[in-house]
Amino acid sequence: MSGRFHLALLALCLGALVVAADAQAQVPYQRIVRAASEPQNWLTYSGNYNSQRYSALNEINRQNVARLRPAWMYQLKRPGVFETSPIVVDGIMYITEPPSTVTALDARTGRPLWTWTPTIPSDVIVIGSPPVNRGVAILDDTVFAGSIAGHLTALDAKSGAVRWDIVVGDNKRGYYLTLAPLALDGKIVVGVSGAEAGIRGFIDAYDPKTGKLVWRTYTIPGPGEPGSETWGKDSANIGGSSTWLTGSYDPQLNLLYWTTGNPGPDYDGDVRPGDNLYSCAVLAIDASTGKIRWHFQFTPHDVHDWDSNQIPILFDDTINGRPRKLLAQANRNGFYYVLDRETGEFLTGTPYAKQTWAARLDAKGRPVLLPGNEPTVEGKTVFPNLQGSANWYSPTYSPQTKLFYQFTREMSTTYYKGQAKYITGQPYTAGGGIAVNGDDAYAAVRALEGTTGKLKWEFKLLQPGMDGLMATAGGLVFGGTEEGNFFALDAETGKPLWDMQLGGAVHANPMGFGIDGKQYVAIAAGWTLYVFSLP
Amino acid sequence: MAGGRVFSALIGVLTIFSAASVAGAQSFTAPGEGKQLFAALCENCHGPNGMGDEAPALNRPTLTYAPDDAALRRIIGDGLPERGMPRVRRMTDEEITVLATYVRSLGRTPPVQVAGNAQRGRAVYQRLSCATCHVVDGQGGVLGPELTKIGQRRAPNFLRQAVLEPGSVLSKGVLGILTNGFVEYLPVSVIERSGREVRGIRVNEDSFTIQMRDADGKFYSFRKTDVERIEKQAGRSLMPSYKNRLNAADTDDLVAYLYSLGGGK
Repeated sequence: MSGRFHLALLALCLGALVVAADAQAQVPYQRIVRAASEPQNWLTYSGNYNSQRYSALNEINRQNVARLRPAWMYQLKRPGVFETSPIVVDGIMYITEPPSTVTALDARTGRPLWTWTPTIPSDVIVIGSPPVNRGVAILDDTVFAGSIAGHLTALDAKSGAVRWDIVVGDNKRGYYLTLAPLALDGKIVVGVSGAEAGIRGFIDAYDPKTGKLVWRTYTIPGPGEPGSETWGKDSANIGGSSTWLTGSYDPQLNLLYWTTGNPGPDYDGDVRPGDNLYSCAVLAIDASTGKIRWHFQFTPHDVHDWDSNQIPILFDDTINGRPRKLLAQANRNGFYYVLDRETGEFLTGTPYAKQTWAARLDAKGRPVLLPGNEPTVEGKTVFPNLQGSANWYSPTYSPQTKLFYQFTREMSTTYYKGQAKYITGQPYTAGGGIAVNGDDAYAAVRALEGTTGKLKWEFKLLQPGMDGLMATAGGLVFGGTEEGNFFALDAETGKPLWDMQLGGAVHANPMGFGIDGKQYVAIAAGWTLYVFSLP
Repeated sequence: MAGGRVFSALIGVLTIFSAASVAGAQSFTAPGEGKQLFAALCENCHGPNGMGDEAPALNRPTLTYAPDDAALRRIIGDGLPERGMPRVRRMTDEEITVLATYVRSLGRTPPVQVAGNAQRGRAVYQRLSCATCHVVDGQGGVLGPELTKIGQRRAPNFLRQAVLEPGSVLSKGVLGILTNGFVEYLPVSVIERSGREVRGIRVNEDSFTIQMRDADGKFYSFRKTDVERIEKQAGRSLMPSYKNRLNAADTDDLVAYLYSLGGGK
């Protein structure tokens, strides 16, 4: 072999290594940490580990948003409830389609690049929500998605080829996944759905290369563990407390903030006397070990199905002259909470929606109950609604305005108590509710002062839907409606600046990205993904 | 629960179970207590003892959509959304059993008796020119709901209320246009910036626009930001009340006619 050939081979190998390294490092962890430095991309479910769902792009702004128009659309291959929240990396968009399909699109045109659909058994158990999927995570060159069959799958980002596929929770027991996973440094974190089938909730971290479990943290203590005394006899192991929405993360503190759902059975608390820890709570978890550093329970002993899985938003601000690292959440129970995210200390809690179940929160943030609001056999009408004043759809926080924006559902439910009987793989709810809806309900986008929850403005909407919001550096808040409107409000005043009827209910979160200096905004509505830009 | 509208995609849950034993059931699922469950969950629409109201009467030997026990159990468990019946709440097998047993027992009670005479009621319908606003068998105006099969959907006491106080019983979810429990045929007034007022019924609405039709059938579409204000007249109807315009016998006859439409019995 000649020396020249050796050199050529060496050059080829080096070239291959460079290409391989590029592919391998497409979205390394540090890139997600610094997501704010590349606003043309949307690298994780809420855009950033702080879950602010804020786009720093400002080409579309108050002055020109009235000229916004569709750039492209993508239609589902089969109908379903379309709750995806896309991510975008360097011109490629990754979405999920119901129930558990992952599709990569050219973010410039909407043309599909690959699609992957898992095998879902015909007897799959999905109790407690529609069979949906809310999005993917990406880390290095791999895309991660959960499925309603209870699996977590790693897909090659360029082709959709399966790298590994593991079972997170046994679907025969009612476990299933609808959330977008969260990619951390060497870990893919997921939670589970299934409280309405009597699961025991947990949060898992997996090795992104192999799918091997790194740690598991149960959201209901085991026998003898602290907190197990809050469940009464034989109720904890089927007590729900599911973990069905993507958490937030503080890289400096290395703390993961993951929220938990309702205890089960939903509407009969008699069989689970006590606070039912750690249901309806936020857990601060050491991301390296899975150990719970602190917890805060929003609704002890919930009997209205008020999961606390709403997205916790992280931001820093000064309270009483003291700089604080904060965590804020507009909870399904009608209260807005601000906690110190280093310690879990309760700082503020105030109603942001009509609620008729608590007189107030005490100094520690625990609700002081108004009597007689439990579900009954005959039915008891209570605000908020069974689906809450907030739900899975995302709020947004603008560092420009320091306002927390929440699509607020003003609606009640007549809650019924039924029979509590656990049968594996069947509904374990002991009741339910009828919504008081139509002209007797409404919704509003509410702008709350981040540190206090004080209402700055509201923009009323016709009906309580499941509509996320996104604030932008253009001084806008984007949102959708149950009736199919997509709109932009002035982030400072709430004044409507633009809207369009999309022809199908919006049950999704807006997100934003850029290509070649042009800003785009995406939203799913009906069975279509719409992407908008200026002409 | 994992958010979104509550329903189950679980095939297994939709399976029709064979009649389950109620042995060991808790208090309100014991045999004989189906009446209590019915009062709590069903009576609001189907009336006391299933005599019918906004929803059809159940005190008849054969139920249109529940000809056998399997169908009845399925409807109790899942509702009948396409007919406007929601699932009130999830129920266990035992709860469904006692409720189904109670509903079947209603079929052994005397059926709804209608006081009036349908033939005479048809004449009353014609005399009052009801066809100006309602369609029966393809004939009539469209400002109010079609009545061709109204007897299948509503019980006599509800139809009587609709004649005497129409604003108190406006339909919800019948037309499939403005869904999620919104009142249909709701009177609205739109006051434009010029001061002009347009009155009519709401046809549809979203957060940014409203569609309506006036008494002459003329269609209007408004953007909410373009008008001065919109007044929705809850509890009212464009249809006049016949409380003081019909005597008792004519009212009975008109109700009997309406109930006969579509073979309400």
